[in-house]
Amino acid sequence: MLKEPIKVTINGAEIEAEKGAVLIDVCRDNAENIPSFCYYKDLAPQASCRMCLVRIDKMPKLQTSCTIKVTDGMVVTTQSPEIEKAQRSMGEFLLTNHPLDCPVCDRGGECELQEVIFDWGDVEERFKEEKNKAPEKYLSPIVANDPQRCILCKRCTRVCDEWMGEDAIEAGNRGANTVIGTYGGWLNCSQCGNCIEVCPTGTLLDGVYRHATRPWELDQTITTDVYSSDGMQLSIGSRAGEVHRIVARDRYVNGLNGEFLDVKARFAHEFINHPDRIKTPLIRYSKGGKLIPATWDAAIKYVAHKLSAYGSETAVVASPRLTNESIAALGFFARDAVKTEKVGVADRQSMAAFFENLSSPLATHKDIRYASTIVLIGGDPEEEQTYTAKQIRQAVRNGGAKLIVVNETPIRLTTKASIFIHANHGSVDAFALTVLDASNDSFAAEKLGVDAGLLGDVRDAVFETKGDVIIVCGSDLSSDAQAVIAATAGSLAGDGRRVLLHPLPLYNNSVGAIDILGGGSERDALRSAKAAYVVGSLQDASLLAGKEFVVVQELFETETTVHADVVFPAASFAEVDGTFTNNAGNVQRVRKAIEPLNQSKPDWMITRAIAAEIGVDLGFEPSATSAFKAVADAVPAYEGLRYPALKDESSPVQAKYEIASRDVSGAVDSLRRSVDAIQPADKINETPKVGHKLHRLTTMTSKTPQFHLLANGNPKPDNLLVSPLVQIEPSGAKREMAAAVGVGDRE
Amino acid sequence: MVFVENGHRLSVYRDHGGYKSLQKAVGMAPADVIEEVKASALRGRGGAGFPTGMKWSFVPKDSPKAKYVVCNADESEPGSFKDRYLMERDPHALIEGMTIAGWALGSNTGYVYGRGEYRYLLDIMDVAIAEAREAGMLGKNIFGSGFDYDLHTHTGAGAYICGEETALLSSLEGYRGHPRMKPPFPAVEGLYASPTVVNNVETFTSVPQIIEMGGIAWRDLGTEKSGGTKLWSISGHVKKPGVYELPMGYADMEKFIMEDCGGMLRDDKKLKAVIPGGSSVYVMNAGQIIGQNVTLDYEGLVAAGSSLGTGGMIVMDETVDIVESTKNLSEFYKHESCGWCTPCREGTDWLVKIFDRITSGGGRPEDVQLMLDIADNIEGKSFCPLGDAAAWPVQSAIKQFPDDFKKWIVNGAASNGHVVEANM
Ligand SMILES: Cc1cc2nc3c(=O)[nH]c(=O)nc-3n(C[C@H](O)[C@H](O)[C@H](O)COP(=O)(O)O)c2cc1C
Ligand code: SF4
Ligand code: SF4
Ligand code: FES
Repeated sequence: MLKEPIKVTINGAEIEAEKGAVLIDVCRDNAENIPSFCYYKDLAPQASCRMCLVRIDKMPKLQTSCTIKVTDGMVVTTQSPEIEKAQRSMGEFLLTNHPLDCPVCDRGGECELQEVIFDWGDVEERFKEEKNKAPEKYLSPIVANDPQRCILCKRCTRVCDEWMGEDAIEAGNRGANTVIGTYGGWLNCSQCGNCIEVCPTGTLLDGVYRHATRPWELDQTITTDVYSSDGMQLSIGSRAGEVHRIVARDRYVNGLNGEFLDVKARFAHEFINHPDRIKTPLIRYSKGGKLIPATWDAAIKYVAHKLSAYGSETAVVASPRLTNESIAALGFFARDAVKTEKVGVADRQSMAAFFENLSSPLATHKDIRYASTIVLIGGDPEEEQTYTAKQIRQAVRNGGAKLIVVNETPIRLTTKASIFIHANHGSVDAFALTVLDASNDSFAAEKLGVDAGLLGDVRDAVFETKGDVIIVCGSDLSSDAQAVIAATAGSLAGDGRRVLLHPLPLYNNSVGAIDILGGGSERDALRSAKAAYVVGSLQDASLLAGKEFVVVQELFETETTVHADVVFPAASFAEVDGTFTNNAGNVQRVRKAIEPLNQSKPDWMITRAIAAEIGVDLGFEPSATSAFKAVADAVPAYEGLRYPALKDESSPVQAKYEIASRDVSGAVDSLRRSVDAIQPADKINETPKVGHKLHRLTTMTSKTPQFHLLANGNPKPDNLLVSPLVQIEPSGAKREMAAAVGVGDRE
Repeated sequence: MVFVENGHRLSVYRDHGGYKSLQKAVGMAPADVIEEVKASALRGRGGAGFPTGMKWSFVPKDSPKAKYVVCNADESEPGSFKDRYLMERDPHALIEGMTIAGWALGSNTGYVYGRGEYRYLLDIMDVAIAEAREAGMLGKNIFGSGFDYDLHTHTGAGAYICGEETALLSSLEGYRGHPRMKPPFPAVEGLYASPTVVNNVETFTSVPQIIEMGGIAWRDLGTEKSGGTKLWSISGHVKKPGVYELPMGYADMEKFIMEDCGGMLRDDKKLKAVIPGGSSVYVMNAGQIIGQNVTLDYEGLVAAGSSLGTGGMIVMDETVDIVESTKNLSEFYKHESCGWCTPCREGTDWLVKIFDRITSGGGRPEDVQLMLDIADNIEGKSFCPLGDAAAWPVQSAIKQFPDDFKKWIVNGAASNGHVVEANM
């Protein structure tokens, strides 16, 4: 429904449009295509490519439709010989210095410039002069750059500035010598690759994918990110059983994150086809011996036999990276096959206490983007929940939202904050006491090491808010603090003000794991167990020391498999169907892009097979639909959800958590005691480097070679050239190497 | 134009009535000052000729934001050097004009933005500003009126585009010198997104005279539509190049070149072409001037087929090859294109490549038509007026001097062994 409909005439047809909408959007919504390059809905208008020229009655000259807001009675022509000449001339200009060798360009087939020109068909080449040249080079281990293909639409520099807040790339030089460059000649940023994503041409290129395949040879599979709890939607490009790249390009995906991804989601996918993947089931026949390949049949029988013997002395632990289906299968296994209560989740910082005490609904990512006030307590979303961070930044920058940061570390987002409560090291929990109760202010302020007045300012800011207040809660807060925050949020609402909660768990399916298995930790589960059935790896593998029998399902040999008696090869997220639940409670699909590699199998299938061998039916058929139905039937918040209903990634379905007013006096008391025990500590004054968590080498990220460079300080190499232009003399002697062009080098 | 010896010194300036206008202005209501400027029919001397009083009246009086007065001293237009003279010899007139503007607009801060090469002029300005501040003409409570106003100078890095008012503001704020989208216009959202008036040096220096004489009287020095007097920078093939002050409507252009400026540099060489308003206007051939009674004002030059621009008049005799002189200008625009928008960035590069080819003997019959088409594809389609300014010299040169182009193309093609039918 249009809020303020007005009448606009486009090419003679009168249509209704929303007052103030951008003309180019209105035209496109009404099937009048207008070519454009620099226009990008989510970014500040640029109006530099001049492709979108149209004629508007009563205005001199052609106008750029990407900058015009429609007004009532506006009469627009988008097609006429004059307009076609103008648009074609822009295409011609853009091609003057652009190489005409699409077949060797990595974007060939996906390039917006190519599309526009091909749509016209008969383009005469009148430019017969020499083209300006510059060699291809690297801007970072991950971003390759072919400057000759740049059309200077500056989408890249705008996403870097507006989405990422990094401003790591900018144009240098001027006129036809303008190039997109970096400060100091090397890109030191989080390496999100969003500049690559939004680049309409083959100028900024995925350095992990470069020249691996032609884009049209890839099968595109829309699925959910396996790293962050934001649940970003992405498209896996695979060919013949191999994953080659990941993009969010919205021509394939239209998920909650648009074209946004981060460095891990986009580039850390090399683990999937990595040669170190565990290929067959492995059995360690005697403690201290080696893991020896075994048949599936033998391994399943062996494990079934042992676990049924240990029965309730078995601990069952799920990684928060698994699909809901795999986690649920484990839950059913624990309940029905070994009848154990020892169930835990291998999360580093569980947010179960938060979810158990919800007094307000969860915010969607869109809610965050349009919030009026955001209170970020703990956490470091720029390193851990990158999409949430982007929404916060844009809410502040584009929406004028007020950001309040409460943290022990001056995280980068503090530069966007209007209030920063810089808590003493180890004291951030104390803030939870003051969210509602002013009488705790002086006590909390002393522990936090801040002025008590600031705590009142935060409450004032919340109560003065007219729109939405989002309370974002980090997983670094203690369970008591999480419980208190989740439980008090509801009472802050009123006066037409919504208060929404947004947790910051660490893993892609931390939330699903809580929903299904509850808040048990790996430590509690394993404490008195004799046997362990671990799917994924533990946070602390030493907990397995001394266990009599350990079964592990993994992709790779890890510290956890060191303790295993049996290891099953698990399929990665790219090889399975299922669902993950993100930090907004969106239950989203995970889709199989390639068949399970080697002999690996989806975790829930393995669990189901062990149970079947024990003689227990876990209650679902071996299909993702059936497995999800079993999940939905078991989790109250998922009640009524069905697998096919989750298929449209553009309208994610939110789980229905029970929202109630909670009595958390127990948690408050215990929180007060623990806060009271906080010893005075200094403040951390240093803002950590961009990427300090994102670039960390883990079992998964370490398989992408470029991460090793990033994790080691991203040093600038001596030679940035992608393919050094070494020319061979007929005599065989080497010629001089061409030098890469940096900003300021040309002219 | 006559300058007073040591006119850059405050004492000399005051001896000649300097700062009396400021004293008078701060005794007037700000709105009345704007009315005087409106009545004077003063049009901006930076090239676009926008009525100054009207521009001032666009500044929202009730805006709670700070307001800024910015002097455009970038003067990068080829052929124009009048602002340089003014700042060198009459810096206090600029200070006084800007301060009056500050009073009229409710501003307390002004900036003089000069091109990188004008550092030495801004040094002169800095001395003058310090003198004025010392004497209470700047700073707190000017002439006891309660009005506070101060001036600062700033140099760019030497880019023509930074003379375009919005690019100037970007540069002044410390960003890349790119023009910004209009609207919003600077009067509403300019420097630091606050209401800002940007005027040329000569525009500001006219203001004290207007206040002194009264708007109508000043207007009547010139014509009804083009009020007052105007500085002309004359260069090229005349005996007496320099800066001349003429009343608007001066008759006529031929007399000015042939008599006032001493006539052609070499008596045996005939006038061939004049660019009357700085490089960004149409070039005129002698036939458009000789015996045509072209008056020197906005309307007269438009009627004659060009425009007044900044009044930077470049006179060329018959020894000049217009292909080469236009190539020179095209190189300037290519070099100065900021690179923001497609048509100007790529079009100027393409034009220069064609000029290079033509002047190295590789001209082709289709080149002239191609150049006209490129210019047409730039004109009116660029992000800022620099694109238009790059197109006009080429369009007018081809139109007014077809033979020069024909000569190059026929000879060039012939030397390549082609048979040419020049039908242009
Ligand atoms: C490419 C370009 C360069 C310009 N350079 C100058 C300049 O050097 N000095 C100047 O006063 N105005 C220059 N202008 C005009 C300014 O944009 C603006 O119109 C002027 O400063 C307004 O002052 P005025 O109204 O007093 O003329 C330039 C405009 C363009 C498009
Ligand atoms: S690199 Fe790509 S996104 Fe950036 S300006 Fe060039 S074409 Fe546009
Ligand atoms: S016309 Fe375009 S490229 Fe040229 S100077 Fe203006 S904005 Fe820059
Ligand atoms: S899309 Fe409008 S100018 Fe680029």
